[in-house]
Amino acid sequence: MKFECGDLDRALAVPELMQEAREHLKECAACRRELRLWNDISSAAKELHHEWESPELWPRIREQLAAQPRPKPSRWKDWKLMAIAASIFVGAALFVWLNWLRPPVQQTAGNRTFLTEQALRDVEHNEAAYRESIDRLYTLAEPKLKNSQSPLVVSYREKLILLDSAIDDVSSNLRQNRFNTSLQAQLASLYREKRETLEDLVKHDQKN
Amino acid sequence: MVLEIGLPPLAAASLPDHPSDDQLVDGCKRGNLRAFEHLYEIHASRMKSIAFHMLGSQADAEDAVQETFLKVYRSVGSFEGQSALGTWIYRILLNTCYDQGRKRQRLKEAGPPPEVASRSDVPLRITLERAIERLNERHRTVFLLFEVEGLKHSEIASILEVPEGTSRTWLFEAKRELKRTLMESRS
Repeated sequence: MKFECGDLDRALAVPELMQEAREHLKECAACRRELRLWNDISSAAKELHHEWESPELWPRIREQLAAQPRPKPSRWKDWKLMAIAASIFVGAALFVWLNWLRPPVQQTAGNRTFLTEQALRDVEHNEAAYRESIDRLYTLAEPKLKNSQSPLVVSYREKLILLDSAIDDVSSNLRQNRFNTSLQAQLASLYREKRETLEDLVKHDQKN
Repeated sequence: MVLEIGLPPLAAASLPDHPSDDQLVDGCKRGNLRAFEHLYEIHASRMKSIAFHMLGSQADAEDAVQETFLKVYRSVGSFEGQSALGTWIYRILLNTCYDQGRKRQRLKEAGPPPEVASRSDVPLRITLERAIERLNERHRTVFLLFEVEGLKHSEIASILEVPEGTSRTWLFEAKRELKRTLMESRS
């Protein structure tokens, strides 16, 4: 790039261009004057600091300040502190209420529907014991159920087949959702029905 | 026991000989007039010079400095130290000067900008002073703070609440404008 007179301003702003500017300045008196003026502005500016004695000024200011009410401290910091303290207090109160003071939550249909892991283990344990007692009853009733063709025993047999089918369905659904208390209740009800049916059958057999 | 008569209770409270910025702020916040006097001793000379160049007369400059100290006194309670105390005071001074300058501008009839002396035997200092008056407000401010009062770009940036690069750019533009004006006056 050929450096021209109009480029001097740019060179003053971009120090990288000064090398080229120096070459041009050797031959251009007008640009030398311009550069000298540029530097002179800074030198002359230093002399512009204006200083004078003002013996009355501070006493005047002091008198005016002394007549003022005391500076008001900023309320903003106080507000911030109060807001933080209030947040901590509300948080602590909420924590205490949730953990110690809150009345027991009424069981709703939603949270009654699901069991905890421990409760489920208890239910399954009881269920297994129930099944064993039913199996023992069935062992007692089995000869009668298989051999008798009386209408009463036939109706008992059909009822037990329906109950077993229903128990299989509910058990299958429960395997999808072991924590569903509603299904667990249905299953327990079906087992109870099966046990009572078997007990009735056994009692009827003993009477005869 | 020495009684300070006619002063508020904390007006003459003790302060170290060379208080730190924090001690000065604390003293000012408590209304300690010694703290304000310290501030005056440190900054008044430069404040007067800046105000003089902004307003054009010693009397107006002194009024601006007085007004600035009053504003500092009234609002020091809300000063939280985001900038240096000096920076904050210069910012208040400049705003005070801008306000006074605008009031004066409204009062006097709009006339042509001052003529820059064209005689070659007039010292550069004089012609430069006239040329500075023709600069726009922000260029004039940066030029005065940097070239005349010797503040650093970082300080100017903090006072004017602009990036440091902006302060440098405004200074360059101010000097280029001054150079153009002075060259025209000499040709």
